[in-house]
Amino acid sequence: MADNTTEVSQEQEAQQRLEKALNFSNTMKTFNLNKNNLKVKTQNLLSFSTAGGSFSVDQSLISFMNFVVSSGKTEITLLDKNEIPIHIEDTSKFLDEVSSLYFEVVNDYYHDYQKLRSSRKIEKVLEI
Amino acid sequence: MSRGIIIFAQNNGYIDYAQQACACAGYARKSLSLFDEICLITNTETLEASEGLINSYFDKVIVTDVFQPDNIRLFKDTTRETEYASFKNMGRSDVYALSPYDETLVIDSDYFIMNNVLDQVWDSDNDVMINCKYRDVSERHKENIEYLDNFSIPMYWATVFYFKKSELAENLFTIINHIKHNYKYYYYLYNCSGSLYRNDFAFSMALHILNGSVAFDVPSLPIEYLNNSFDLDDIYRINSHGDIIMYCADAERITEHILSKFTNTDLHIMNKKAVGRFIDDFLSNGEKVNASHSHLEKIDE
Repeated sequence: MADNTTEVSQEQEAQQRLEKALNFSNTMKTFNLNKNNLKVKTQNLLSFSTAGGSFSVDQSLISFMNFVVSSGKTEITLLDKNEIPIHIEDTSKFLDEVSSLYFEVVNDYYHDYQKLRSSRKIEKVLEI
Repeated sequence: MSRGIIIFAQNNGYIDYAQQACACAGYARKSLSLFDEICLITNTETLEASEGLINSYFDKVIVTDVFQPDNIRLFKDTTRETEYASFKNMGRSDVYALSPYDETLVIDSDYFIMNNVLDQVWDSDNDVMINCKYRDVSERHKENIEYLDNFSIPMYWATVFYFKKSELAENLFTIINHIKHNYKYYYYLYNCSGSLYRNDFAFSMALHILNGSVAFDVPSLPIEYLNNSFDLDDIYRINSHGDIIMYCADAERITEHILSKFTNTDLHIMNKKAVGRFIDDFLSNGEKVNASHSHLEKIDE
């Protein structure tokens, strides 16, 4: 009799654990969708246009520009996101501008992402 | 160089496109700053229905009453409601001739601009910019590129595009007009799917033809992806300009929705009925034109 009771309570516990896990999958679904939307937003915001060209700002562009500036080149021709050569007249200014944009946008992404992951309750994250 | 944003709107008895275009113009005005004017291209009937509202959101109104044949489309409001109605989308190919600006950014009346990235289009080296890559905010469509058909060319989204008055843009719109008038032929030639005349298809085919009918790259807008919310999605709440919470249709069960928040990011909201339900919020969060600035231009039929 005691064995049967233990079995039932173990089954109930397993059922509850499964329900909790399945409910958590809904939370994960919402979390992933919101995270991906933040990622796309960030990608769209990491765009910088100058001298008629458009650049996707990322770590490699910043590193390359840092190399250009460190090498003492004050002007260069660079391929933009559409593979069109664009003449950059002031490399230091360009580096400053793309770096600032990168830090600002990625910092916002960091804060939004922290907010999203720190709360299990999506209502809290979305301020519903 | 004059710079203008152009929005097309023609009511169809089912959707109040004029109201929607005003909301869209208000959002564009609030988010962008480097343009000269926002212009509406519409017909007399639509203008007469909402003239006061239109004048408060648009700097310029161009009226053109060229006949548009019926293009019947299925409008969805999530899975709750579906309705067939006329879709008056054939004026888009005339925008090159109608635009009074040297540089033009054309946006759909359901495209809500919530950041200033599109300000980067002005003064571009490119004569035409249009996006191929998109993202479904609900992630039901997993791919970033859609094709006219599984065995056809990539689709460019005529939702937002930029052009400057140039030989290339002029030729592009000549071909788009030609395709529009001979749509059946090109529809079969490019193995299109669906029966609706779509500007996206006409633009994609014209770009392909203009590039010598071979694989090609067309310069994209500064935004990497077009953020598409399809008509199975709904709006939950508009918090402020640049802050919308959407009900995104679940990829597995489209009758169920997942909440997602969009801040500081442009959104193409295709559920027009949902936009209609929140039209007062959209209008109040947008920016109106300075009083006494709006003026009307009538184009002969």
